[in-house]
Amino acid sequence: MSKRAVDAVFQALFLLSDIRFLLRETAPDHELDEGERERAATILEKVRRQVTILEEELVG
Amino acid sequence: MKCASDIEVRDVEEMYINIDPIQAGGRLTADAMKAVIAYADGYSVCDNCRKPFRLDYIQKPPIAQFHADLARWLNMDTARVVPGARRGFQAVASSLVERGDPVILTSLAHYTEYLAIEEAGGVPREIPKDGSNRITADAAAERIEAVIREFSRTPPLLFLDHVDYQYGNVHDVAGIIKVAHQYDIPVLVNGAYTVGIMPVDGKALGADFLVGSGHKSMAAPAPSGVLATVEEYAGKVFRTTEARGDLTGRTFGIKEVEMMGCTLMGVTVVGMMASFPHVQERVKGWETEVAHSQAVVDALLSIEGTKVLSEYPRRHTLTRVDTRESFDRVAQQHKKKGYFLSNDLKKRGVIGVIPGSTRVWKFNTFGLTENQIRHLSEAFVEIARDNGLNCL
Repeated sequence: MSKRAVDAVFQALFLLSDIRFLLRETAPDHELDEGERERAATILEKVRRQVTILEEELVG
Repeated sequence: MKCASDIEVRDVEEMYINIDPIQAGGRLTADAMKAVIAYADGYSVCDNCRKPFRLDYIQKPPIAQFHADLARWLNMDTARVVPGARRGFQAVASSLVERGDPVILTSLAHYTEYLAIEEAGGVPREIPKDGSNRITADAAAERIEAVIREFSRTPPLLFLDHVDYQYGNVHDVAGIIKVAHQYDIPVLVNGAYTVGIMPVDGKALGADFLVGSGHKSMAAPAPSGVLATVEEYAGKVFRTTEARGDLTGRTFGIKEVEMMGCTLMGVTVVGMMASFPHVQERVKGWETEVAHSQAVVDALLSIEGTKVLSEYPRRHTLTRVDTRESFDRVAQQHKKKGYFLSNDLKKRGVIGVIPGSTRVWKFNTFGLTENQIRHLSEAFVEIARDNGLNCL
C-alpha cells in the first residue's frame, strides 16, 4: 500500500484542475498576464514534484 | 479528444466564453471539481454513514453541518438537499395539494412547477404578467380573488419565481407574498435563478418555502438543489415514514417520505458543499455581475434595431433580446441564414446562443471576467459591423 503514491495522484489531479480553471478564466484567447503566468509556473512545478513522487513509488 | 469509448471530452468552458442562459451559474468552482474527482464513485458519501442512517446526519464529510449552514445562509429554519429545484417543487406540492385543489403560479413559471401541481392532482391557475413582463402584487391579489370565487376554496399553495427564466426579470416577491399571506396561502419561492448568484434572504422575502438549484446557480453538479422551509411547514414536508411491511413488520427508521430517504449521495452533494464557501462569497459581488450584464446589453443596444425585452436597466444577468430588426435582417440575406450569428460568435470564441437564433434569444453573462465581458461586447458589435448593420 502506497499512501504516498495515492496522495500524489490526488494532489496532481487537483493541481491540474487549477490549471484547467486558469484556462477557463482566460478563455477564449488564453493570453495570461504576468500574475497568471507566475501562478501557472508555480502550479506546474508542484505537478512535477507529484509526478516525481509517483515515479519513486511506482517505477522505482 | 475522447474521455471514454465514444464520449467526447467537454471542453467548451475552457475553449470559449459560454453565455448559455441555463449554464452560467452552474459552472463548477475549482474546489467543486476537485471534490468531484475525489468523490466520483456512486455512494461515495456513505463511507461513514451511521445510525440513524440518513444523509443529513452524516458527519464525515460534514453533510449535517452543510444542511444547517444552508438553512442559516438562506435565513430559513430547515433545509434539505434535493436532486434539482424541481424535486423541491414536487415535495412541497405533494405535501400540501389535494386532488382538485387550485394552485396558483405565474404566467412566467417554469414548466416543472406545472408538473409538480399536476402530479399532486392540483389545478394550475396563472397570475398574468403585465406589459413589461413583470408579476405584480395587484395582479396576484386579483387572481387569488378570482380563483377563490371559481373554486369556493382557498388555494393551498402559490408558486412564485423570484427571477423568471424567460426574461430574467426580478419580481416583487415580498409584495406578492404579503398579499398571499392575507389569504393564508403559503408561498414557495423558486430561487433557481437567484439562490447562489445573488443575495437571498428567505425570511425578509416572507417565503414559506425557498427552493434553489445547485446546477443552475450554486456551482454544483446536476441534479442538485436545496429545499428550505420555515418551521411551520418543516414537519409536514419533511415528515418521516410510518410505513410497515405487513408480512415482515419492517419499518424504515427516520427516512423522510418526500425525500424518498436519502437524496444526493455522491458528487452532487460534495460538489455543492465544496462550492458553498465560494457561493456565499460570490453573491456579495452581485452588483458587479449586474454591471457586466448591463455593459453587454448596452453593446447590443448600440446595434441599430436591437431591442431588449427584459426589464431595463438590467437587474439580472439573464437577458432576453429581440434582434429581428438587426441580426435577423442579416440572416435573410446571409448564405448561412440564421446560423451566421452563432457561427460568427464561435469564430470569436463565444458560444451559448442557440444555433439558428437571430430573432428572440437569451443569454447569461454570470461569472464572466472583466476581460471576457469586453471580448463579448466587442464580438457582438464587430459581427454587426461586418454584416453591414449600423452601430452607434
